[in-house]
Amino acid sequence: MTLSSRFSLSVGLLATLCLAAIIHILVVLSIPHNVLHSAYDNIETYGPDRQFNLLPDVRPGEEALPDLDPAMKHAACRFQLADGPVLFDASIPAPFWSIGLFNAAGEAVYSLNNRTAGAERLSMLVLTTEQLSILRENPPENLEDLIVIETEEPLSGFALLRAYVPHPNRADSIDRALKAASCGSIR
Amino acid sequence: MSDTGFRPAHGEADWYDEKLPRAIRSHRGNPFRTIATVTLVVVLASLLGISSAYLIIEREQPLNAVTLGPWHAYPKAGTSEADPYSVAIYTRGAVIPLASGEGLALVAREDSNGHELDPTCVYSIAGQTPSARLWTLTAVDGHGHLVKTMSGRVNLASDALLRNADGTFDITAATRPHSGNWLPLASEARAADGLRFVLRVYDAPVTTGAALDGVSMPTIERLGCP
Repeated sequence: MTLSSRFSLSVGLLATLCLAAIIHILVVLSIPHNVLHSAYDNIETYGPDRQFNLLPDVRPGEEALPDLDPAMKHAACRFQLADGPVLFDASIPAPFWSIGLFNAAGEAVYSLNNRTAGAERLSMLVLTTEQLSILRENPPENLEDLIVIETEEPLSGFALLRAYVPHPNRADSIDRALKAASCGSIR
Repeated sequence: MSDTGFRPAHGEADWYDEKLPRAIRSHRGNPFRTIATVTLVVVLASLLGISSAYLIIEREQPLNAVTLGPWHAYPKAGTSEADPYSVAIYTRGAVIPLASGEGLALVAREDSNGHELDPTCVYSIAGQTPSARLWTLTAVDGHGHLVKTMSGRVNLASDALLRNADGTFDITAATRPHSGNWLPLASEARAADGLRFVLRVYDAPVTTGAALDGVSMPTIERLGCP
């Protein structure tokens, strides 16, 4: 069977376009699996897991992580729920602070700020459903006061704590509060 | 495409006759031609597919944007509901987004007249923002990086802002100092570096479900260029 040259040209073009669309989709979908440095990897460079590490101030040319607000101070903590529940505890003397929980892919899982936290002190417990049911058998006294975040699967991710610095003379006390913030196991 | 040159000697091959319609005439495949065609199609398709993906990702503009005048927000980017393009853009840049309980970042790449922002120009950013407990306005270059300015400051915050009696504000974004609210731009700016304004509203109802429609955002007017 011989096709007219115009028809073979259209078939060729159509094949090219369809294949191009498939390749385009594959490339876009494969990028997240092939990035060299995810946010989760970047945070590892600032200190050990399961503790809040103060990130350097956001200044031109020395941004710790991309797209952070230079008006804020940041502390980050990597954690793996497979190693046990994580208790976040912090008291930050800033007019605004917020915490975001992100999974290893960098998707926001949970977030709150100092108004929605309902108290000046941040005390938040992140655990899996299974860990919660174990904990309920012998609950710690302050379980009622904690914000409890339940995840279905053992989450590996990080928390980013942002604190607004209203004036440079408040920077030291906010630094100290962020360094003192805990991201560890429940006793 | 004439086959006369390849016609076999014996008479059974009469149906090669040119009188037959083209579509049912026998075709003698040429393997080299076939391979060349397939290669060409694959190479062209790869070029087209990869370059179009690269261009879209490199523009760093996720698809489902909420547009408010010159400002764009991507409330779904960085969540599990994000589209594949913003997932690719955010993971490639290792960007940690503002989560919905924290705030919302609005980015302007153009002024209110639709002209691309230029760091050598002087801009007036005026009006009001959605109600929020706190907002900050930051000037970054075309790639989202902070730049060195004359004052060392790269942003303005809502709590240290001079306001008009009706609560609106006027901000002048320029390289050189200006009276009133001055947002410093890059001290050694070239037009090619690009400019973006990032308005981050913290603890605002717009980030926690309330509709973004009808929210008043500041306008960006170009006052002059050197």
